[in-house]
Amino acid sequence: MYKLHLILKYLRRRYIAWWSLLAVSLCTTMVLVVISVMGGWLNMFEHSFQGLTGDIVVESVTLSGFPYYQEMIDKMRQQPGIEAAVPSIYTFGIINIGNLKTAGVQVLGIPIEQIGKVNRFPQSLYRQYNQYVEQAKETKDPQERQKLMEEAAEHAAHPSFKLPLPADDYRKNSDLGKVRTDPSTFPGMIAGSAILEIRRDSTGRTVGRDPYKYKIPVKLTTIAIHPGEIGVNLSEKSEAVYWIVDDSHTGLWQYDNNFVYVPFDELQKDLQMTAAPVRNIETGQDIEEPARTSELHVRVREGYDLQQAKQQVQDVVTSVMQEHLGQSSVFYPPPEVQTWREKQRVWIDAIQNEKLLTVILFGIISLVAIFLVFCIFYMIVIEKTRDIGIIKSVGATSSGVAGIFLGYGLAIGLVGSLLGLLTSYLIVHNINELHALLGELFHVQIWNPEVYLFDKIPNTMSWRDIAVIVPIAIISSVLGALLPALRAARMHPVDSLRWE
Amino acid sequence: MIEKDHPILRAKAVKKAFRMGQETSVVLKHVDLSVRSGEFVAIEGRSGSGKSTLLHILGALDAADSGTIEYNGQDLARLSSRQRSEIRNTQFGFVFQFYHLLPELNVMENTMLAPMIEYSWLGFRRRTSELKRRAAELLTELGLGHRMRHKVTVLSGGERQRVAIARALMNSPRVLFADEPTGNLDAETGRQIMGVLEKLHRQQGQTIVLVTHDRSLARQADRVLVLKDGRLERPGESPSAEPAPTLDYR
Repeated sequence: MYKLHLILKYLRRRYIAWWSLLAVSLCTTMVLVVISVMGGWLNMFEHSFQGLTGDIVVESVTLSGFPYYQEMIDKMRQQPGIEAAVPSIYTFGIINIGNLKTAGVQVLGIPIEQIGKVNRFPQSLYRQYNQYVEQAKETKDPQERQKLMEEAAEHAAHPSFKLPLPADDYRKNSDLGKVRTDPSTFPGMIAGSAILEIRRDSTGRTVGRDPYKYKIPVKLTTIAIHPGEIGVNLSEKSEAVYWIVDDSHTGLWQYDNNFVYVPFDELQKDLQMTAAPVRNIETGQDIEEPARTSELHVRVREGYDLQQAKQQVQDVVTSVMQEHLGQSSVFYPPPEVQTWREKQRVWIDAIQNEKLLTVILFGIISLVAIFLVFCIFYMIVIEKTRDIGIIKSVGATSSGVAGIFLGYGLAIGLVGSLLGLLTSYLIVHNINELHALLGELFHVQIWNPEVYLFDKIPNTMSWRDIAVIVPIAIISSVLGALLPALRAARMHPVDSLRWE
Repeated sequence: MIEKDHPILRAKAVKKAFRMGQETSVVLKHVDLSVRSGEFVAIEGRSGSGKSTLLHILGALDAADSGTIEYNGQDLARLSSRQRSEIRNTQFGFVFQFYHLLPELNVMENTMLAPMIEYSWLGFRRRTSELKRRAAELLTELGLGHRMRHKVTVLSGGERQRVAIARALMNSPRVLFADEPTGNLDAETGRQIMGVLEKLHRQQGQTIVLVTHDRSLARQADRVLVLKDGRLERPGESPSAEPAPTLDYR
């Protein structure tokens, strides 16, 4: 009883111990904030990358792509671990947005009606998904919210490159003087949100998404790269006009700032990757060169082992390529098969290492807290020497006296770590607002999306991290109090009573 | 149950020395003492004569270098540290010259320190009202009924010493050890404190071992012993024939 009573008294009255409480609290806050931001960053990476590619990616090692992809898809679908496989074409291009902006971009040709089977791309679209979700968040009517969410899900299930405005709106566009084709028949393009200057302002509000952007023609210039050729024929460039039909916000800066998405068939045609007859110069025979793609995105069945599924995909790719060996006029190097994690391993490993290093560094800094607790407790024990003698003279045992100081350390650890948890929760959950405030007040941008790849600082905490860090903080505080507690326990009652 | 005439505390050939650098000072050379239950024994001696050391040894706060201390027939040296702590908690009570109260606790909490140490949290909670009543009775009896919630730091010396007496009596000790209880008080307050001890002995038969340098205070006890040259003597007895060096060079 006396231990608890004295601990509570000391906790309230010994202000010097509040410094150790502050140290424990600050260290807990520091480590939790760092681990949450770094861990959140890693999670965002993994989630976003996985959301933009399939679970497994079959990727061409050249920009000219690989053939027989449809055959591969058909065979993959028969594999037990594979749910779906969708092709995409990846290339580089130049876009001219209504003569207002010209930029080099990465172009992805996707069969948009199928892409949702292998990744979460449809959920990144504003017009076809997120505008409904945002409206649903704002509405207070539950029925309206339900309706909007259903609408969002319906759109996400059937995404399209279709024009968002009536055909006349496009026909009236004065920027298309030299174009003879009916402008309303131009295909649609989805642009990364940052390409369209859509961004978050300092208050976190999205700005720059104006309706006029759906009336601007975009010229996309790409160049066909043929397999087996060592050079690029610049006369084979393709200039196609598109309308922007939607914008994609994946949260990944490198995608949102660099990627435009166009219909798979259009890009395949522009890059001359469709099936075409060619003459074999040696034999004089006409053969059909197969259609090509750059990538296949494969979705693995729920719960199925990823590595096993990868092996199945690898087997299909190898067998198809083997089967057609020598049938083509050129040699196609076999495409590479990787899981989504392997494809992004350079980034993910780097972030994982950075997270580990940061946690170690801050952990070392936290040792200072243990030392501070030790110093303060040592001072308290010396200061309380006579009290220790008094308590022992009234019958307290040595272990009981040690228990007072260990319990005191435990109490400091508990209160300090809980305060630290609360502070870190408040910081992490408001980190973007705090960052915006820092920007407004001091004109500093600590989190640069071009460096960190995301335009938002991760603001969630993991219970697993809390379950590890908080007990470590408490144990550290008890460890800091251990030696002083042992010293107190060993004190001779008579010597303590005579202490001056 | 111990008979009134039976010795409750007995010291046999107790020796105690302290090292001070290279030198060793023998404070207690050969002390024999027997205290009966209900007896009020005063040990008189000059400053530095070793009377406080003897009191600490008798009260299981310190250990003798040689000789034995028996409490209730039990050799204290043979008991474990935990058992000695238990005896200090439930059988002995201490009143010191400098009060030795805990500044963080108020008057009532200081008084209840011994039962707080004796009982677990649950055990104490179960007996709280009973223990509070007992502490309040003691404090009221000692004239501190109006001071129970006060901090000990705001009390006068006499009041602090009465709180220390209340704390010592809280667990109804068999033996009350008083180490110069009036040494830090003015004459009038000292008389009041001695009055309290005397009343305790007279009315409740409290066994008291008092050490003091003040002969007039010692005379209030049933029996007075003088600690001189490391030995206990009856007042007026001639010093021992044995040589009695004060310093023992080892």
